Amino acid sequence: MGPVPRTLELFYDVLSPYSWLGFEVLCRYKNIWNISLQLRPSFIAGIMKDSGNQPPALLPRKAQYLRNDVRLLGQYVQVPMHLPKDFFSVILEKGSLSAMRFLTAVSMEHPEMLEKVSRELWMRVWSRDEDITEPQSILAAAEKAGMSSEQARGLLEKISTPKVKNKLKETTEAACKYGAFGLPITVAHLDNQTHMLFGSDRMELLAHLLVVFRPG
Amino acid sequence: MGPVPRTLELFYDVLSPYSWLGFEVLCRYKNIWNISLQLRPSFIAGIMKDSGNQPPALLPRKAQYLRNDVRLLGQYVQVPMHLPKDFFSVILEKGSLSAMRFLTAVSMEHPEMLEKVSRELWMRVWSRAAEKAGMSSEQARGLLEKISTPKVKNKLKETTEAACKYGAFGLPITVAHLDNQTHMLFGSDRMELLAHLLGEKWMGPVPPAINARL
Repeated sequence: MGPVPRTLELFYDVLSPYSWLGFEVLCRYKNIWNISLQLRPSFIAGIMKDSGNQPPALLPRKAQYLRNDVRLLGQYVQVPMHLPKDFFSVILEKGSLSAMRFLTAVSMEHPEMLEKVSRELWMRVWSRDEDITEPQSILAAAEKAGMSSEQARGLLEKISTPKVKNKLKETTEAACKYGAFGLPITVAHLDNQTHMLFGSDRMELLAHLLVVFRPG
Repeated sequence: MGPVPRTLELFYDVLSPYSWLGFEVLCRYKNIWNISLQLRPSFIAGIMKDSGNQPPALLPRKAQYLRNDVRLLGQYVQVPMHLPKDFFSVILEKGSLSAMRFLTAVSMEHPEMLEKVSRELWMRVWSRAAEKAGMSSEQARGLLEKISTPKVKNKLKETTEAACKYGAFGLPITVAHLDNQTHMLFGSDRMELLAHLLGEKWMGPVPPAINARL
């Protein structure tokens, strides 16, 4: 019997393209590394507010840079990233509250579907430039992920319940407690240390930490 | 005769720890990849001003994160990074204008010394600059005299403006000149992507020296 898998928590929001990159890389490695990947749907706008940070897209030169960076990384990481035509409206106006509440409900009731539904929401907004704010949009993503119409509708009804709203709030607060000022963050629970790594570009460092702090 | 080496410009400031990480990695790869590494001393405060950005250390959670990130990366990349407790107040108050003007003067008069002197300045921000790098006292003094001349001041300004023209909102930036495209990559964490764009092999931040081209 091998060593106990180390827990990695991935806090993400489907509004964040870098979250998608980090998510896909960790999903690939979850069957290669000795890890237990815990997906934590979070609300990036809440993290921005709590930390006093601002979406990078608000600074013109960062917005310009992000467009290229996300495109190049999409190609390199082999994630079908295509920037929405109205990039600013998607990030700064439309947001992700319903989508992340929906994923929270999925995580509470059908956790085995969380990976697929998350992916389908990213595919909508960051690959096909489709809406993720309307109920029909969210249902379409859930069904594409393999959920029945009935199941999906049932979960959609729950997104405005205090239970689901609070769970999203708690998860977002947990990310803030780990020191998040943006997303994605990967929290690696090693034997006697916890490391919070920001962004999708700390995976090589993460691999190093998993080896260096290997148990036994 | 092999293919023409591709030009990489590294715009950096010794005040920036991530600039140091990027610098060391690229210095290691300059003898492995088919590249011509051009060091471009720049002024990070000028870039912040021009882009409307702010030093990340001004946001408390980023400052906290940076301390850990820089420490861990220093270990991983094998660069002797030791942040003193008042590091951020040092960055934000003391700045780097003289140091970067000095490096600008070095780049203009003794470009072969630029890598070593830059490294020693980084060692100092986070220990004993030019003389430790092998520059004679006389040379060092001569250069120090030049740092407030219009020629040197303007050269630093121009280099910093060039970085801004490439879209910089911080440092380091690496500008890769490929056959029909120019790519600006921000940060010290885009080296693997850079390798991919160059069609070269990424062997981590500490590549084995035996792979060095002769």
